[in-house]
Amino acid sequence: MTTADRPERPQYRVIGTRAKRTEGPGKVTGTTVYTADVQLPRMLHAKMVLSPHAHARIVRIEGASALAVPGVSRVVTAADLSEAIRDGSNPAVNPSNRGDALIAHTEVVFAGQPVAVVLGESLAAAEEGAAALLVEYEPLPAVLDIEAAMRADSPLARRPAGAVDRSEESAHVTIDVHAEESGSAPTNISSHVSFSRGDIATGFAESEVVYEHTWRSATLHQGYIEPQATVADFQPATGELVVWTTTQGQFHERDTIMKTLKWPETKLRVIGPELGGGFGGKMAQSSPLVSALAVIAKRPVKLVYSRKDDLLAGRPATGALVKIKTGMKRDGTLMALEASVAYDSGAYPGAPAATGALLMSSFYRWPHLKVDGYEVLTNHVSAGAIRAPGVHNVMQAVEQNIDEMARQAGLDAAEVRLRNAVRTGDPMSSGKEFPAIGLVETVERAQSHPLWQHRDEVRAASTSTKKRGVGLAIGGWLGGLQPAAAELFLNSDGTVNGVTGALDISGTNTSFAQIVAEEMNLPLEKVSITTGDTRTAPFAGMSAGSKTLFTMGKALRDAAIDLRQQMYEVAAERLEANPDDLEVDGGEVRVKGVPTKNISYERLAAITTGFGALYKPLVGRGTVTARVQAPGFTAQIAEVEVDTETGFVEVKNYASVQDVGFAINPMSVEGQLEGGSVQGMGIGLWEEYIYDDSGRLRNAGLLDYRMPTAADVPDIDSTLVEVPSEDGPYGARGVGEPSITAGGAALANAIADAIGARVPMMPATPERILRAMGKLGGSEAAGG
Amino acid sequence: MAKIAYTLHVNGEDHEVYAEPNLTLLEVVRDELRLTGAKEGCGTGDCGACTMHLDGENVTSCLVLGVEAQGRDVLTIEGLAQDGKLHPLQQAFIDHGALQCGFCIPGMILSGVALLERNPHPTREEIRQGIAGNLCRCTGYTKIVDAIEAVATGVAH
Repeated sequence: MTTADRPERPQYRVIGTRAKRTEGPGKVTGTTVYTADVQLPRMLHAKMVLSPHAHARIVRIEGASALAVPGVSRVVTAADLSEAIRDGSNPAVNPSNRGDALIAHTEVVFAGQPVAVVLGESLAAAEEGAAALLVEYEPLPAVLDIEAAMRADSPLARRPAGAVDRSEESAHVTIDVHAEESGSAPTNISSHVSFSRGDIATGFAESEVVYEHTWRSATLHQGYIEPQATVADFQPATGELVVWTTTQGQFHERDTIMKTLKWPETKLRVIGPELGGGFGGKMAQSSPLVSALAVIAKRPVKLVYSRKDDLLAGRPATGALVKIKTGMKRDGTLMALEASVAYDSGAYPGAPAATGALLMSSFYRWPHLKVDGYEVLTNHVSAGAIRAPGVHNVMQAVEQNIDEMARQAGLDAAEVRLRNAVRTGDPMSSGKEFPAIGLVETVERAQSHPLWQHRDEVRAASTSTKKRGVGLAIGGWLGGLQPAAAELFLNSDGTVNGVTGALDISGTNTSFAQIVAEEMNLPLEKVSITTGDTRTAPFAGMSAGSKTLFTMGKALRDAAIDLRQQMYEVAAERLEANPDDLEVDGGEVRVKGVPTKNISYERLAAITTGFGALYKPLVGRGTVTARVQAPGFTAQIAEVEVDTETGFVEVKNYASVQDVGFAINPMSVEGQLEGGSVQGMGIGLWEEYIYDDSGRLRNAGLLDYRMPTAADVPDIDSTLVEVPSEDGPYGARGVGEPSITAGGAALANAIADAIGARVPMMPATPERILRAMGKLGGSEAAGG
Repeated sequence: MAKIAYTLHVNGEDHEVYAEPNLTLLEVVRDELRLTGAKEGCGTGDCGACTMHLDGENVTSCLVLGVEAQGRDVLTIEGLAQDGKLHPLQQAFIDHGALQCGFCIPGMILSGVALLERNPHPTREEIRQGIAGNLCRCTGYTKIVDAIEAVATGVAH
């Protein structure tokens, strides 16, 4: 790792250092508790029965055969759900959103949709009952291709429904534009957004190099290693519902259960145990259903998705179809962008049409542009978020077009990007201005990276059957915004404890502790941050959208400053000094310049908590709402070797450069770049939902849904660029999301550099590579 | 299915088990012995989150029946630290930032330990091959390879 472009800044003691993860010992010894580890007395086990049909009417469900299995206690269908809803309504009847479709009611709209749940005294009993359950279907026409679905004469993927709840989508993404919901005429296009600037015809008339292409990208799974799980405990006597669930956001989970079950939040407690990866996919997927099951059964219920369930019935990331035409002057000045992106949203809304259209058109200074984003309903499993939802699909297109135009003009592709990259204050395609950004600095660092500088030598090392190439691509993410709150307490021994409601997925509690230690002038080990639950912690947004450290980090800093100020006020009275003349050092509050005039943190704790103490307890509070985003940009360079006889791609070297604003914990930040880069490789080369002609998933297992292993990928050479953000704590930016956005495109450009041909669909599988080289007949099957 | 009684030797101690004979070793260890460090990520032997050692060899415990482990030495992640002191590889994972969400880590560490017992001085490529049966989605593997290499070469971070 190298840190580049670190500007002059104050000397920090704890932040900016490579702090070891505070929760590390629990994780390496296996003692950390995850949701599936929770076991309760009298707990029932649930097994979902999933539809084998992409679109069908449910003719009947015969529970007797399942109930005959010893240990099966109940079969729950959609009709039973009203037993769990406080007002007796049933959310599953003609639902607008996937979230309400807890169990399919009369009609299934994707293969893998739950049609019933079997409850058993053991998991084995529930599984056996589920296998025995008789469900009769009448298949209906299925809509399985994005382009066909968009035609006016297409059958509908499902019955038109009412208003769409987009709270999950907006928790991830903060953009000021919203797509129009579909109008009155029934269509599979559930939302559409457009952006334009200048005059597109003029733009192309003035262009000297024009490239037009259609790009497809596959539906993907987030690939968290911990499957979805929920344990719900309902106590009929008290009306209390306590829910442990795999979640990125406890409060979002609580609010979703509240809305779905009409359950008062005074009787609802959501606990998010340690989370085994989320990547946008762990958001109220199973907790409303399992909560309902527990209320119906009046016993604790546990549901853990099998991996097959998770692939079939999860909420994967959208595949997309991008049609794009770009124009450039021969000197490398970009002139015109005309493009559309259509996301396969599956059977319910949730695709990032507005985000995709906006980000596709906002990273370069296009004088003339016209872009459209479409969310298209099909009879595939409905989509959810992924790390930077929708962005890899569009960067694949934009970055390959830029690369190809640079090639045609004989220009350095990095130079073209640098010349046209957006700067601070430039408008996005929506017209909104960019805050402080570091795209130029990021591309400059990538351009000077040895991997890019030596690309001619790499290419020259090719043999007749092993072709080598180097590719570069950029990507980025605008960053999420959401209010956050934190509390800090001074302990009797002079240490500090804190609580937030934010789930720690990527080391945020360690970084929070670093921030508090910095402000309190304490060593890191004297600060502890705990993730509370929805009953014990103040509000926190989802750990999603690359905003946890950006928002909650600020709340912690403010809480520390508040706590320090309260300590100064008590100390000032004891020391007979002015609060403004005090400082914290060595676990003491001191008078500046008179270190002997001091009071220890322990003493301050004692005189604010003891019997008969004269002073109020010291509780630091920080509540923030961030209003200015901190977009993060990445530039990634891939070196590949393509076997032209087998189509197999080996990634030889990989560099990931990213503007992180300020790395509170460089070790954690590198981890984000490395993990995101490898996830991007999976997108570019291996990962794909493969459907058969009737819309059934053919690869619902981790052997065939191929995620990168350690043997598939090289070391990631990460470079942190630090262009401070305006509003983040100490200049930090969100770092999780940008890292995934460029990998697919960088690999695609490297492959094109190696073989001299473009692969029109991600992932670039051996078959597609051989076809692009003209070595294999046939055409791409519909899908993606 | 009728339960049967048998003995498992796990982490140096004998445990009496009374369970259905079709339960996997993973299910018995997690649900009966309540050692939940080993995780189920796929149930089909593809992800490695359930990795345990059986007589010193790596196994995916979701593909082994509990009864098959009778009379053999089972090591789970809970048995790796001795007398409250972390195994050097556990410490290296913390020191090198080789863990994020942590779900794959128990299996990953046991695969790393098995690798180092087979091959005390692996190259980075051999390390990558040695842990290729353990999927990790968070780290991108670079820091995991760093951690294993550091123990192999005896270089503290």
